[in-house]
Amino acid sequence: MAADASVPTLANRFQRPSVVGALGMLVVLGAAALLLKNLTVSPSRFFEVTLIGLTTGCVYALVALGYTLVYGILELINFAHGDVFMLGGMFTITYSTHFFGLHSGQGFAIVPIVVATLILSMLSCGLINAAIEFVAYRPLRKAPRLAPLITAIGVSFIIQDVGLAWKGPNYVTAPDVFPHTKVFSFHGVDYGWNKLIVVAITIPVLLGLLYLVQQTRQGKAMRATAQDKDAAAIMGINVNRTISFTFMIAGSLAGAAGLCYSLYVTTVRYDQGFQLGLIAFTAAVLGGIGNLPGAVLGAVLIGLIQTWNEGLPWHMPGSDWTQSIVFSILILILVFRPEGLLGERTPEGG
Amino acid sequence: MSNGNAATAATPILQLSDIHTYYGSIHALKGISLEVHDGEIVTLLGANGAGKSTTLRSINGLNRPRQGHIRFQGRDITSVPAHEIVKRGIAQSPEGRRLFPRMTVIENLEMGAFQRKDRSEIKGDMDRVFELFPRLHERRTQKAGTMSGGEQQMCAIGRALMARPKLLLLDEPSLGLAPIFVERIFDIIKQINEQGTSILLVEQNALMALEAAHRGYVLETGRIVLADSAESLKTNEQVRKTYLGET
Repeated sequence: MAADASVPTLANRFQRPSVVGALGMLVVLGAAALLLKNLTVSPSRFFEVTLIGLTTGCVYALVALGYTLVYGILELINFAHGDVFMLGGMFTITYSTHFFGLHSGQGFAIVPIVVATLILSMLSCGLINAAIEFVAYRPLRKAPRLAPLITAIGVSFIIQDVGLAWKGPNYVTAPDVFPHTKVFSFHGVDYGWNKLIVVAITIPVLLGLLYLVQQTRQGKAMRATAQDKDAAAIMGINVNRTISFTFMIAGSLAGAAGLCYSLYVTTVRYDQGFQLGLIAFTAAVLGGIGNLPGAVLGAVLIGLIQTWNEGLPWHMPGSDWTQSIVFSILILILVFRPEGLLGERTPEGG
Repeated sequence: MSNGNAATAATPILQLSDIHTYYGSIHALKGISLEVHDGEIVTLLGANGAGKSTTLRSINGLNRPRQGHIRFQGRDITSVPAHEIVKRGIAQSPEGRRLFPRMTVIENLEMGAFQRKDRSEIKGDMDRVFELFPRLHERRTQKAGTMSGGEQQMCAIGRALMARPKLLLLDEPSLGLAPIFVERIFDIIKQINEQGTSILLVEQNALMALEAAHRGYVLETGRIVLADSAESLKTNEQVRKTYLGET
């Protein structure tokens, strides 16, 4: 074997990837065949489920971007991020119902309330996330990488306990204010306003983020800091402030996701962030951790896979298997394509 | 050369007095004192590990000295954070170049001017960098991490120039370059200096460094063992033996 491997013939070099590739191809083809069968069994159901998947994917994207932004700049997987998202849902319920008196049946009066709640919730989560970095991660900046990682898990538990103490162990319900009336109905495919509103909140936030990172001075500082902190410092970039800013942006995206989720699903519980956070983390890894478009792509794919699995009629594994499927994807990606779908294979890890 | 002599009487632009810097628990600099005068090229010579790069990292704030003082244009900058140093007028082409690998040449140069307020003049400065390094102009939209060592070195020097520094710190600008590039880089270093920028140059290639510099210091294990004009250092027997490869 060793002798074989030392001779870099064409056949040799393609042997291993082709086995892996064939296996991967088989899995993808199997999944595609299953989807195709479902499409023929009930096309209207298929499209309806796909639209739900896109909506779910949007919420995942907002959370996944937070993981990827923080990973990009600190190479830290911020396990507390999902719980900040949970707090976003709690803030949304508190601000909208207690401060602004949101309840169902208000008609268009909900628009300013939702916008104001969105801004407040994003701000709160942004500040909390920056505070977490300041208190829990900054003192460990020069420690081995395992130390902040374990700290992040600890912070995750602390935030869950805060949520538990604040809102109790049961589901907290948000008023169901997004109208369920149809935007369109096409050959039996219904698309409700409540889904469109989630997408309509997500897309401007995503575009804003893209503009921020690519065009602004602060965004340039973020990219430079992510690539080389010492070099960024001697360019005159305040590295600590840039990291704080990144955590603030990541947190405010989680806040926006918390609003979308709590008003769309209408229930929030203290431990919800942990699970959704892991799913969003999988999405970020699937797209290529550290890569912004990758996080969105991964999130939409995971959202689609989840809803297809749970919503399609013909021989799908069903919701009991959703987590197994999602985390199997995580394992497969880490084993066979650790740089993700859009990630680059660079020495620094993309 | 004439302004080098005239400036010696005035306050030095950079003055290190008895600085001690540590790398973790390693006592890397054991009382370094040196001066750079306005308009000078000063070179630091010494073997690997003598403390040349640590001296530069002490000046630019990345590795703060535990003792001693650093003054720039008469003001104490010993405890000024790294990102403020460049605003005072000290830019650096660091050891290992440290470009932003996933940014283009243009973006890297723009980062060099990050802290400047005079946005309108940055374009002109970039054109001047491209004049010094026509090769960079050819590569301007290429990702810095994909360029050759020589091109990266030019980009690192160009990026430092974009800050419009009064003092330029150059760490091993000739490291890993083809001989033809080395000559070119040193020509450009002299050219930059003639346009009024003082330069503190760390270099393995002692011969080239002493050709370009006005004065030099020799470091050994964290201490300065010799300080003299470049002319005298070139003829100094110890220097010739240790750094110029004569037997």
